[in-house]
Amino acid sequence: MSNNFVDMEQNSSVPSPGSTNPISERLFSLDVIRGIAVLGILLISIWEFGGFSTNEQNRLRLLGKGFDFNLFASALLLFEGKMRALFSLVFGAGIILYMQKPNHPGLPSTQELYIRRQMWLMAFGVINAFLLLWPGDILFQYGVMGILLFPFFRMSKKGLLIAAIIVTLIYCGKMYWFYEDDHTAYKKFKAIELIEQKNKKDSAAKHIKDSLSGMSKAELAKQDSLFKEKTKLNRIQQGDKSRWEGLVKGLKYDTSKGPEKAEKTAMWGNYKKVWQHLYQRAQGKEAAWLYRIGIWDISSMMLLGMALFGFGFFSNRFSTDTYVMLAIVGIALGIFLGWLRLDLQHSKHVDYIKYLSKKPISPMQFFPIERLSLALGYASLVMLLIRLKFLQWLWQAFAATGRLAFTNYFMQTIICTLFFYGYGFGYFGRLTQAQLYFFVAEIWIAQMVFSVFWLRFYQYGPVEWLWRCLVYRKRFSNKKKNA
Amino acid sequence: MQTYSADNHVKPVQQAERIKTVDMIRGFALLGILLMNIPGFGINWDFWHRVMTGPENTKDFYAFAAIFTFFEGTMRGLFSMLFGAGMILFTLNKKDTATGPTVTEYYYRRLLWLVLFGVFNAFVLLWFGDILFYYGMCGMMLYVFRNTNPKWLLVLGFVCMGVTMLKQQLNWNELTDKRKAYNEAVAVSKTGKQLSAEQEAAKKEWLEMEKRRKPDTVFTNRNLQKMRSGYVTIYQYLIPMNADSETGGLYHQWFWDGLTMMFIGMALFGWGFFSNKLSTSTYSMWLLLGYGIGIPISWFVFKVGMLEETRNIGLYADRYYVNHNLLYDVRRILLSLGHASLLMVIFRSNIVPWLMRALANVGQLAFTNYLMQSIICTWFFYGYGFGWYNKLKFYELYYVVFAVWIFQLIFSSVWLKYFRFGPFEWLWRSLTYWQLQPMKK
Repeated sequence: MSNNFVDMEQNSSVPSPGSTNPISERLFSLDVIRGIAVLGILLISIWEFGGFSTNEQNRLRLLGKGFDFNLFASALLLFEGKMRALFSLVFGAGIILYMQKPNHPGLPSTQELYIRRQMWLMAFGVINAFLLLWPGDILFQYGVMGILLFPFFRMSKKGLLIAAIIVTLIYCGKMYWFYEDDHTAYKKFKAIELIEQKNKKDSAAKHIKDSLSGMSKAELAKQDSLFKEKTKLNRIQQGDKSRWEGLVKGLKYDTSKGPEKAEKTAMWGNYKKVWQHLYQRAQGKEAAWLYRIGIWDISSMMLLGMALFGFGFFSNRFSTDTYVMLAIVGIALGIFLGWLRLDLQHSKHVDYIKYLSKKPISPMQFFPIERLSLALGYASLVMLLIRLKFLQWLWQAFAATGRLAFTNYFMQTIICTLFFYGYGFGYFGRLTQAQLYFFVAEIWIAQMVFSVFWLRFYQYGPVEWLWRCLVYRKRFSNKKKNA
Repeated sequence: MQTYSADNHVKPVQQAERIKTVDMIRGFALLGILLMNIPGFGINWDFWHRVMTGPENTKDFYAFAAIFTFFEGTMRGLFSMLFGAGMILFTLNKKDTATGPTVTEYYYRRLLWLVLFGVFNAFVLLWFGDILFYYGMCGMMLYVFRNTNPKWLLVLGFVCMGVTMLKQQLNWNELTDKRKAYNEAVAVSKTGKQLSAEQEAAKKEWLEMEKRRKPDTVFTNRNLQKMRSGYVTIYQYLIPMNADSETGGLYHQWFWDGLTMMFIGMALFGWGFFSNKLSTSTYSMWLLLGYGIGIPISWFVFKVGMLEETRNIGLYADRYYVNHNLLYDVRRILLSLGHASLLMVIFRSNIVPWLMRALANVGQLAFTNYLMQSIICTWFFYGYGFGWYNKLKFYELYYVVFAVWIFQLIFSSVWLKYFRFGPFEWLWRSLTYWQLQPMKK
């Protein structure tokens, strides 16, 4: 297999006509990291695919010990958000790499092709979300962010680094803002509680007064209900009340498992049932999530990737010491912040009211920094291991997976929806967490093997090939030159 | 970002390259937008329910009927059409140079700044009806279509229109389904039988929906009180509203609304419609067709659709399988074409050349004038300004509109005597090219 990769690099150094993205331009390290990220993403998305519900997660968080909790906490600590961060990091680096392609006469300019690519990516995202029914899709958001960040590609590497830091800080700021919103929600709830208490007291007082005045029983009941009607909460107050109640409920373990049952029933239905259950979630991810969180979540890492590419991080230009240091500091800081987050999250789930009054920050306050450091640490570690020429066959398998990242991402959707959803095998909510991870491991192996074999015969993954054809508006041959 | 010298790079549009008729129509649309925006600035939003359910012989009702029939959606539509045309204009005369940013980059920088101006308009100037944000986002989709054949652009426009129609019909189906369930539940309860839990829920859901569609004094009173407060209160009050329209609003509605008209505008520009290249008889024909078909449809939508829907949604849902809003885009395209053709015919007949020139000046300063409308109206109506919020009757709001129009017509003409660009245009250009642009003539 190791020869295989060398072969590929040699093949592609012969420029093929019309090919503006010869494989020699590819960076091995970017492919490896992308491969790891695309596989790693499944570790978290499998929860949503497979029906590892938030209620079950709440149970584990409140429990705080045992095998299941440890498994869950490790995933939260080591992978949650970090794999998407890695993906964004290489996506950003890829933007700069793509822009370096020279224009070819008779073909649209590189920049134009870039914009087309992003727009097709958005379209693929819509298909992934609304046709293949994966509401956790991120392709759409990556397409949008790729377009929004397009004007930044010419910025200096320092400027990009500063931009990445600023965006990360804004992201932290948003976390603080969300926490403040929760404070406000609680205050409003308290105010309404007071009103309700007062109404209750007044009602009792009135009842006594009325009964002393010698009212008939029927008249008394009528007066009571009249008073109740008069002092009913208005819609704003009702909204404020249910907002907080919903917030707290979302943190608790619901032993009746009502919502879970409803979810399972829907997910075990036919295609139409599942669609109706999921489409609004997908819309929310493409609209509200992108606007509130996604912009900052994705662009901070993309900008960092663009900057790091400029500094030569991915082309092995840092010294071994630097990679070692970045890996150690990044992973250590990330794990420390992650551990802090899990600890705070535990107290939040136990008693949010107490938490709000005691803790100055939300558990998510440093999450943007946590994921950035861990992702950077992981990337440095990978760079280091590649440099050490350690486990080379594994890196090559990852690289192949990364070169087929788009295909593999889609394939995960297809495999998981068909395995878990009702119109497929319907395993939604039927596997334990550990079983879900066995399933993930199977997919990993399948995807790595598939990717390596596919690249023996073809230049691009099937979806990558389709994407290219759409972007260039012509049909390319996908056969390898000497295969 | 680095700065680049203007000499060897892509340059802003020069005065001579501007197409006068495009500016003229844009000026008309820009002024017209205030017709639709003024209620948002100046009156509590339960007014429409009051007007539509009240007697039909009041000035308010006439004003509302006239504005809806002739203008609703059409000014935004025309503006979007010209935005699409402007996108082609921006890229048309510019050539890339060997080094430095390309036209593509300037195009996207320009739009990214537009998005930020939109955020500024919504969150700082506090105009919750801002459209700049959407225009910026929609514009980013247009670039790759700048060389597309007008025929295909028209098809794209209709496809986007189809998306809106499909969404509307799906929503309508959902609503009529709820109504059917409600009707069944009511029929059962009339026979005296016990309702099942599902039927109870269906009944309750419909009644609540009906209630939600009517203005609730709790909300309208709060709105009134907030809009008459200071800057910080209004700012905080409008955050969720602004955020909702920049997320859900954009995603569900404005994206398609904008793209429909932008694609059609690009097609029309390609055929020379806005640049005075068609024959007078063609313009006259579109004037007749646009108004001749558009106005009756529009009246029908208002009279049969909107009024009935507002007055009794239940009966309306029983009666119609489709919602009249399905005709919304059709009528707005026709009316926009009618308006534009009317202007072209007047322009050619040379009856009021001074007015056409003044409109062109307003159009050349469209960006400044748009933001100026936000500044003037928020200061006139909101609590931290003169506090006229909800103090005028609906029809009286249009006195304010006329005053703003006259001011903007005069201001634009005077300003352009001395300066090359409007103040906000100048700022936008300078930011886009990342270099101070010459301002004086």
